[in-house]
Amino acid sequence: MSADEFVGHEALIAALRAGTLDAPDHLQRRLLAGSTTKRRRWRDMSHRRQALVLIPVMGTLAIGAALVNGALSSSTDPSNSNHRSAELNRLVNGAAFSHGTGPIGAPGPTGAQGPTGPMGETGAQGVTGSSGATGLAGPTGVVHGTASYKYGALATRAGAQKSSKTLDAAGAFSIPKGRLIHATAYLDVTVPNNRALTRATNDATQIVTRLGGYTQTSQINASHRGYGRAFLDLHVPLSRTEDAITKLGKLPGVAVVSQSLSTQDLEQQAQKQTNEISQLQRAIAIYKQALNSGTLTGSQRVDVQIKLADAQRQITGTRKAHGKTVKSGTTAEIRLSLATKHQAVVAVHHKRGRLGRLLHNAAGFLGLEAIIVLYILIVAFPIAVLLALLWWLTRGRQRRDEKRLLASA
Amino acid sequence: MPAAFAASRPGRGQPFADVVAENLDAVYRYLVYLTGDRVAAEDLAAETFEKAYRGWRRFDPARSAPRTWLCRIAHSVAVDWFRAEARRTRREDNYMRDADMLQESVFADGFSPELDQALHRLSPAEREVVALRVLLELDGPSAARVLGISHTACSTRLSRALKRLEEEVGDVRG
Repeated sequence: MSADEFVGHEALIAALRAGTLDAPDHLQRRLLAGSTTKRRRWRDMSHRRQALVLIPVMGTLAIGAALVNGALSSSTDPSNSNHRSAELNRLVNGAAFSHGTGPIGAPGPTGAQGPTGPMGETGAQGVTGSSGATGLAGPTGVVHGTASYKYGALATRAGAQKSSKTLDAAGAFSIPKGRLIHATAYLDVTVPNNRALTRATNDATQIVTRLGGYTQTSQINASHRGYGRAFLDLHVPLSRTEDAITKLGKLPGVAVVSQSLSTQDLEQQAQKQTNEISQLQRAIAIYKQALNSGTLTGSQRVDVQIKLADAQRQITGTRKAHGKTVKSGTTAEIRLSLATKHQAVVAVHHKRGRLGRLLHNAAGFLGLEAIIVLYILIVAFPIAVLLALLWWLTRGRQRRDEKRLLASA
Repeated sequence: MPAAFAASRPGRGQPFADVVAENLDAVYRYLVYLTGDRVAAEDLAAETFEKAYRGWRRFDPARSAPRTWLCRIAHSVAVDWFRAEARRTRREDNYMRDADMLQESVFADGFSPELDQALHRLSPAEREVVALRVLLELDGPSAARVLGISHTACSTRLSRALKRLEEEVGDVRG
């Protein structure tokens, strides 16, 4: 073997190669005889081969787990698998009430006293039907400086009437008179079909118009398969809020699914703005008086004029804000959501065979696995980068140590 | 031939025992040059082949020749040995041992005392590159891979080592 590095050192190279140095026989014997290391197939594999084995195994396990999950889930009675949807359907359709023998649940306790608001009562409309389903009750909440009340009922139209009566009796819908209150009501209802949806939407608009309000936004979506949804943002005078909610709940063909009302007392805010306006008015009067007196020097006059302009600008802004507060405090917002029954219980109509359910459940489970893997990767990636950096730094240090060691030994 | 070695690599065609037989002398020689100690070289050679046997299934002939791969393992084993030696010599006076080692030829049988002493005066890193390129006749890239340095650095190290060896031989004679 020749190389450029050897040029000029031929004699030395020859001398080095002339020397004989073989491994002692006892070393060879020891080596060949002493090797009784157990074969560890997995550890003996290269990393590439390990990955080639691991990836399909993991994939097979994931798919297998998904299929087992799907099989177990689909092995139950189809009627049971849709039990929750059916129950919802029954409740929405009023079956639970028309056929149920259970008593109406007692009104739930409540009463969150807002800082400025009146006592709020939440009617927990517990309704027990034949299947033992229980109606949902809305929670009561308190917001900063305001009182916010919510109450809900999962009931049929008839149930809603009872609920309204109960609530009315408890005074839950009684919005305080003589105060500036901003009220927002949420009303979710179902209708039998798209025709009823359109009619209910028109009726709702007419109701609020008759009550002196207006429809701010209206959105209707209907599909040719009979599903439809509508969202109405209605504004009515505060004093007509209860009336509007009652009338909207009694629209023909409409079944109330849930309703809630939140109020915000704006009296303190309005009072603050009024005080601010009064102060600014007084300041403006003083500035004007000073300017008209003729006793100010040139620089003082300019200074007062600037202050006057500032005060006038402020009073204009505060008056606008006050106007908005008053308007907001005298108007209630009703967000009406209408949906066809098909939309609400769409899951019930998706009849699948056992294989279909198995595949559907398996796909869902696989999706869940993918989410978990993705989450782990997201969490593990920065750690892996840090470890790689650490390894790289350690390796560099080891190399330097090794070089120093071999150079100086 | 032990069955463990003979049957260890049927898939690759070459049993590990053949690899041992082919490369034991070379690896031993390399380790003698690197450590300057025949006894240590024996132990390290045994350790090298033990490690190599454990990793034989992971060895990829497409990436390097068996000799290069074995030398890489031997290098790693020897570096560990040097670390242990450095710790030990910090604790003990190693003077007597070094003096004894100079009494006999370490690096090869048949070497002149001058050449043997001159080799002793080289650093392990210099002897290592000489062993790899001159005795084991590895090509530049393979030797560089064993040393964990670039081909250019390996070439430079070899040139310096040979030049210094010439000078040391001259000094010993002179």
